[in-house]
Amino acid sequence: MKNLLLALFCAASLSAASPEVTQYIETLQSKAALADPAFEGFDAKRGEAVFTSEHLGKKGKTIACTSCHTVNLASKGENYFTGKVIEPLAPSANSLRLTSAKEVEKWLRRNFNDVYNREGTAKEKGDVLIYIMTK
Amino acid sequence: MKSLLLIPVIATMLVGGVYLMADDDHYEKGNIKQRAAQLPVSPQQQSYIKECSSCHMAYQAEFLPKRTWAKMMNGLDDHFGVDASLTAKDEKILFDYLQKNAADSKRVGKHFAKMAASAGDTSLRISDTRYFKKEHRKIPQKYIDQKEVKSIANCNACHQKAESGDYRERGISIPNYGRWDD
Repeated sequence: MKNLLLALFCAASLSAASPEVTQYIETLQSKAALADPAFEGFDAKRGEAVFTSEHLGKKGKTIACTSCHTVNLASKGENYFTGKVIEPLAPSANSLRLTSAKEVEKWLRRNFNDVYNREGTAKEKGDVLIYIMTK
Repeated sequence: MKSLLLIPVIATMLVGGVYLMADDDHYEKGNIKQRAAQLPVSPQQQSYIKECSSCHMAYQAEFLPKRTWAKMMNGLDDHFGVDASLTAKDEKILFDYLQKNAADSKRVGKHFAKMAASAGDTSLRISDTRYFKKEHRKIPQKYIDQKEVKSIANCNACHQKAESGDYRERGISIPNYGRWDD
């Protein structure tokens, strides 16, 4: 029963992502579980911390995901370095978000490198995606 | 039949033509620009524009020579301090597009040609070419530093038609300053 509820909850929250992105999140889930046997699933609260915390980025400047995307994911952001406008990240405000696994993978790879100066772990990537989906 | 064969050749030249920021008076003659604008953008060019303009204006390939683009494409994981890497397949598409359309691969407008010809061997920046610097030397730094512009690399902050390859003086409007007459 508990499992069924969990599955239903996952299905509901995953509806903010396309089937291929949902599948990508499932692969992240397997990887995260493999890396840590105590892993109990992705968490939006942890994802928020991933998204809002500041780090010494690739350029040697202290930045966070919010430096470009702002703290309001439903609003437009601006590239911290070039000033180029970034469309909202929240699927509720931008229906194109979380529709292509290829795009999601590309931006997670790049932006973790830019902000954290390293590749994100499967757990961090999953957490931040779940967080974005709640927006 | 021979003239039919020429059509793709002419079409190619016209596509190039839209990016020629040829001198002002030259540009006015005929409707080259108009006709070229009707030609479809190739899938390669679409990919190029989509990927580059995620973060900044997709600078015209005609601005730099092949060797500079090659160097740039071989270092996308550290692209001016930012990770701009793509899948190997997409990097190849963009690499080929840039090699094919670089200043030394085809006939380009004289301003593009001057820009590319004055590119050094170390910097990858268009804004580091001698010709670029010469053309922008009179712009007061405060207009570049202001938040609406942010950087000299932000072409379309002032060149209103930069994205279509038109850098003519009449298309210049500097935020909080206005038209620029050299």
